[in-house]
Amino acid sequence: MNEVPAIAIRAHGLTKRYANGRVEKTALRDVALAIPAGRFWVVSGPSGSGKTTLLGVLAGMIAPTAGEVELNGRPITHLRDHHRSLVRRNGVGMVFQEFALVAGLSLAENLLLPFVPEGGPPPAVCRQADKLLERFGLAAFARTPVERLSAGERQRAGIIRALLGGAPILLLDEPTASLDTANVQLLVDLLVELRAEGRTLLATTHDLRLVNDPRVDGRLRLVDGAIET
Amino acid sequence: MKRHLALIRFALGSSRRRAGRTVALGGALALVTFAFSAVLLLTEALRREFHLGAAALPDLTVQRLVAGRPALISEQWVPRIAALAGITSVAARVWGYYFVPALAGNFTVVGVDASPERQPVDAPAVVGRGRFLNPDVAGEVVMGEALAGFLGLDVGDAITLPVGKVGKRLQIVGLFRSSVALWTADVILMSATDAREFLQVPAGLATDLAVHLSTPDEAVVAARKIADLMPDARILDRQLMNRAYDLTFDTRGGILGAMLMPALVAFLVLAWDRLTGVGPGERREIGALKAMGWQTGDVLLARLWENAVIALHGALAGIVGAYVFVFHAQAPGLAKVLFGWSSLYPAFRPAPAVTAGQVLVLVCLVMLPFVAASLVPAWRASTRDPLALLRGVA
Repeated sequence: MNEVPAIAIRAHGLTKRYANGRVEKTALRDVALAIPAGRFWVVSGPSGSGKTTLLGVLAGMIAPTAGEVELNGRPITHLRDHHRSLVRRNGVGMVFQEFALVAGLSLAENLLLPFVPEGGPPPAVCRQADKLLERFGLAAFARTPVERLSAGERQRAGIIRALLGGAPILLLDEPTASLDTANVQLLVDLLVELRAEGRTLLATTHDLRLVNDPRVDGRLRLVDGAIET
Repeated sequence: MKRHLALIRFALGSSRRRAGRTVALGGALALVTFAFSAVLLLTEALRREFHLGAAALPDLTVQRLVAGRPALISEQWVPRIAALAGITSVAARVWGYYFVPALAGNFTVVGVDASPERQPVDAPAVVGRGRFLNPDVAGEVVMGEALAGFLGLDVGDAITLPVGKVGKRLQIVGLFRSSVALWTADVILMSATDAREFLQVPAGLATDLAVHLSTPDEAVVAARKIADLMPDARILDRQLMNRAYDLTFDTRGGILGAMLMPALVAFLVLAWDRLTGVGPGERREIGALKAMGWQTGDVLLARLWENAVIALHGALAGIVGAYVFVFHAQAPGLAKVLFGWSSLYPAFRPAPAVTAGQVLVLVCLVMLPFVAASLVPAWRASTRDPLALLRGVA
């Protein structure tokens, strides 16, 4: 009998409405999904379909108007801001389309920024950062201010930062947006490696190179805020 | 503690990264602190100066008025006042002002009984250089150190001052110092005999009477008794004079403080504008920090440290600048407004004196509103969706 994998990311009834004056926009409509642990899934959809909002809700950055999110069996939707911050710090690593790097700080400083409120990074994390910089080909740029890095280098820096906390779930928002085809292949190779390490990966994209990659385990399509069946 | 140190390091880095904003806010804060500090330090120095001077005054000073103006008083009143209950001693004093047009300033000439049994007990101690007056020698003076310095005189030099239509030569035998800068800056001590001659005070008359009481708190009662005895007397109460000095400098300091309020308001408006107008870069940074797991409290604490460092540096620069301006440069411009005796007094160097309370008041006055104002926009930004901040739509 095949063992049923545990569900790492579960959401049901997710709805998110934004009010802009008298105009109300629905970004997510009754979204339900269940991503098994240790799998690499992709959510595709056109621009404005609600992909980033979905990732934001799953990462505990955006409070949904309705619905529930569970990460590794733990509901996070009704957690207070303080606890949702801890989820973002320890439970989920997120790679942002906008990179979310702080200009003026070096690459190494940016990577270790999540550990500042804990009193600075422990030595083990510093060692891990060095290893990841080597692995991602960025060791030579450790002391370079991030604004001097190329888009691809910043993309990789974002991935390193997401991995540093040892989070079991990795959420990636348009991870191939700044990459050429060769680098897309390298990125997918890397994501497959991370999956092999036991991490759960969920990437949003409208890039068919990623959607159609045969190594992707599952695909969802989001159109106008709803999962297309 | 480790958390705070890490956040302080981050905050210092932030203030370096936003150097333009840091310099603008720190500079404006330093300027406002400087203005308020200068008024406060000078007012307090003057208040302290007058209180020190007043502490050496007799409990009551009795003057005689003729046609509403001070006139010489007969020494015959000394035993009659001394006989009143509660009065421990009465002394006739000979002193007066001497105006030097060329210096546009007044000296205070004080006659002193230099005989060993009558001279002030601390006379040797206050004479910094030279010696005290010799009771058997006429024509000697002891001058305040600051006044001698102002006139370029030293022990051994001689000065000639007019007595009537002739000049009287006086030998400087000593320079005295005092914690009261006012005295060292304008007082000349000479024998009572010389003072009478110089000020043209006939024997048997005095400038005023110095009255000491067994219970200084009963000064009002004693003054009433003296007034009953001498209807033409004006009686100055030391405690009332202290209160008058306080009121005078509180009023002047208050007026200047009120004049500076627009500057403070302008600064607060500038600070509010700069601090509340969190730019897109700062909003994105707050969004990034929140997105990577910083809590709202972490963001606020980092911002608190960043602005506290700016405020502390700005405030300290302002206070140190004001200290130098007041106590080393003699507060040009400001001094004339607060002193009020610029045409009477040759020179005055306020004694450096800063209390912890003054620094605390200044720091609270300028730092707290600044730091508090800085937290509002940071709080507003850090309670929004991190993603919206990152994408610049919040």
